[in-house]
Amino acid sequence: METDEGYDGLIAAYRHQTLRKVMLFAACLIGIVLAVGLLSVNSYRSISLMESYEVIWNHIIGNEYPLRSNLWWADTYIWNRAMPHALAAILAGAALACCGSLMQSLMGNPLADPYSTGISSGACLGAILAIIMGISVTTMAGGGTVINAFIGAMIPAAIIIILAERIRMTPATLILVGTSLSMFFGSLISIIMVQTDPDSLQQAYLWQVGNMNNIDDFGWDCIPIMLIITVVGSAIVMMLTKKLNVMSLGDNSAQSLGIDVKTFRTLALTLMAIMTAAIVSFVGILGFVGLVCPHIVRLICGSDNKFVVPISMAVGALVLLIADYISVTVGSLPIGVIVSCIGAPMFFLLIIFSKNSGKGALY
Amino acid sequence: MSLRETFSFILPDGSDRPIADICKEYAKECNKKILFCILMCILSAALFLITLGVGTYDISIPDAIRTFFDHILGNPVDPEDDYYVWGETIGRVPRAIGAVIAGIGLSIGGVIMQNILRNPLAEPYTMGISSGAMFGATLNIGLGISLIPFLTGNYASIGNAFILSLIPLSIIVAISVFRKVTPVMMVLTGIAIMYLFDAITQIVMVTSSSETMQNIYMWGIGSLVRFNWDRIPLVAAIVFALSITLYFCSKYLDVMYTGERSAQSLGLRVNFFRVAVLILTSLLTAAIVCTTGAIGFIGLVAPHIARIFVGSVNRYLIPASAAFGVMFLLLADTVAKAMGGLPVGVFSSLIGGPLFLYILIKQRRNAWM
Repeated sequence: METDEGYDGLIAAYRHQTLRKVMLFAACLIGIVLAVGLLSVNSYRSISLMESYEVIWNHIIGNEYPLRSNLWWADTYIWNRAMPHALAAILAGAALACCGSLMQSLMGNPLADPYSTGISSGACLGAILAIIMGISVTTMAGGGTVINAFIGAMIPAAIIIILAERIRMTPATLILVGTSLSMFFGSLISIIMVQTDPDSLQQAYLWQVGNMNNIDDFGWDCIPIMLIITVVGSAIVMMLTKKLNVMSLGDNSAQSLGIDVKTFRTLALTLMAIMTAAIVSFVGILGFVGLVCPHIVRLICGSDNKFVVPISMAVGALVLLIADYISVTVGSLPIGVIVSCIGAPMFFLLIIFSKNSGKGALY
Repeated sequence: MSLRETFSFILPDGSDRPIADICKEYAKECNKKILFCILMCILSAALFLITLGVGTYDISIPDAIRTFFDHILGNPVDPEDDYYVWGETIGRVPRAIGAVIAGIGLSIGGVIMQNILRNPLAEPYTMGISSGAMFGATLNIGLGISLIPFLTGNYASIGNAFILSLIPLSIIVAISVFRKVTPVMMVLTGIAIMYLFDAITQIVMVTSSSETMQNIYMWGIGSLVRFNWDRIPLVAAIVFALSITLYFCSKYLDVMYTGERSAQSLGLRVNFFRVAVLILTSLLTAAIVCTTGAIGFIGLVAPHIARIFVGSVNRYLIPASAAFGVMFLLLADTVAKAMGGLPVGVFSSLIGGPLFLYILIKQRRNAWM
């Protein structure tokens, strides 16, 4: 029985918790706005930060500047160069982080990420076929890599989903199957990569690391597909968060609480595969966002997926924006390298200092 | 009348069986296991000879085998054939011996790691050894840094690779001084270090010229071509000495297999034993990886397949995995050579991946899953 005082204390503690979550979310949103501004300033140097927001706002509400004035140029640069970059980074970060928290709950494994099913290797194989061997399913100029990567990503995803349907599999087995699939596709990639000339190899490797070249080349054309898939996908994930909470208790508990585990997992995997494939085929294999962002959020505000999913999305978007800003500023390093440089030490610290890491469970 | 014939064993259904029967059955089981090992050894020997005749230099398999034996027996041989079969840089004999050494080392490393980490996914590289080695080689090829002074070229890569591949181990040992190291912690530390090394390797690779990048990339894919007569004695000595030591630990490994608490109550100093065995395994793996680069999947798949045939008793499992690993690696290398000189690391994953998938799906009653 709770005394009145204890009850009040509990309420206060709960409010405090909620406040922390809201604060983190707000901090991320502010960070995102700031980073978008910085990216804009970076693309057209002769305006101030405040002016850049003004330019963006005026473009959105439809105001136009006199032709070839300073702000007109700023508008052109920001709208055609900085904004697609920023939006792509936000969408990719949000989608990958969303898929990451989905996978970690679904598999009950803290080390699962969107690439655990071998999607990344499949996408990479598709892209490399287009880059090195010139084999692509469309004749669309430049679109070959993107579409190849998407189809490539769907192959391992389809295999794993079909297997999960056909035979009873524990999450551990699913991850093992994903590992062996990604090893297999990895070896096909190596066969192509070792036989090619150094320049194609470099180009293919850059794709594999993850970069924004597609966004630089095609600008706004990439955004609608990414936007639609990310928004729809994450909305569905948000609706599933209650069930995800139950799933992370383990298969048996979830089943006895009334969830059709097998069907749910198949559906969630399909959703995750489509989201990840859509992102990966545009920006390459950006590691760490899907793995680390959900963990950071869980460390700060607990593991209720109702909060973990949206806040991870905000954190993921912010992390990718910062990485993109650094990559644009430095010039020679692709975004994927920056992400792994930030992500790897963060992951290391997370493992070393997390009190619960020794238990190997989702905390 | 001996004890065996007097007593009988009462089965759950009430009937009784003489112990002598059970002993006979057990002996039969053991013979089967030994038979598997012998079969694998014979297959390996056959593949060792066959692989001498496969490659870019045109020589038939019987001719190559004849040249091989003639060289050993000191008979006169055609110098050109001898150069290609036995020779210094592109010889096939050193490469085949390399396959034997790497096969033994990686498979045994896999058995031990899966045992002490109690994880079916563990392999010799789980601790980040291969990433460390790759990082070491990258330092030398990309930036020209050698951690051991006075070494240059390939030797500097090997020296760097060896030193850096032991970093994860030293971190674990350092932690184990202060607190108890659990298997999960070991795996997580390994993964974290792997990511760190990979991130730095990525930076060097992306910023270097495309030729340098190709060199680094090629180093990373496991290959047996770097085995030559200079290096074989040292690597072979390390691998055989450590393998034999680990084989003599098999009893204790069996005890470890029963679980941490049982092992403790059976009188094993679990934490000490785990770290000690980890040191041996890491040295074993590092010795191989710094010469070959990361040849994937042998260390993961060989123990699993051997386990299907001989079960999980380490006295049999260790030699059986080693024999299977040698067979598998020789086979992969032969295929690689027949396909025009691709590195063996590519084929070990190409064959190993689907094989592993098949095992996963078929193997229902496996103790690990």
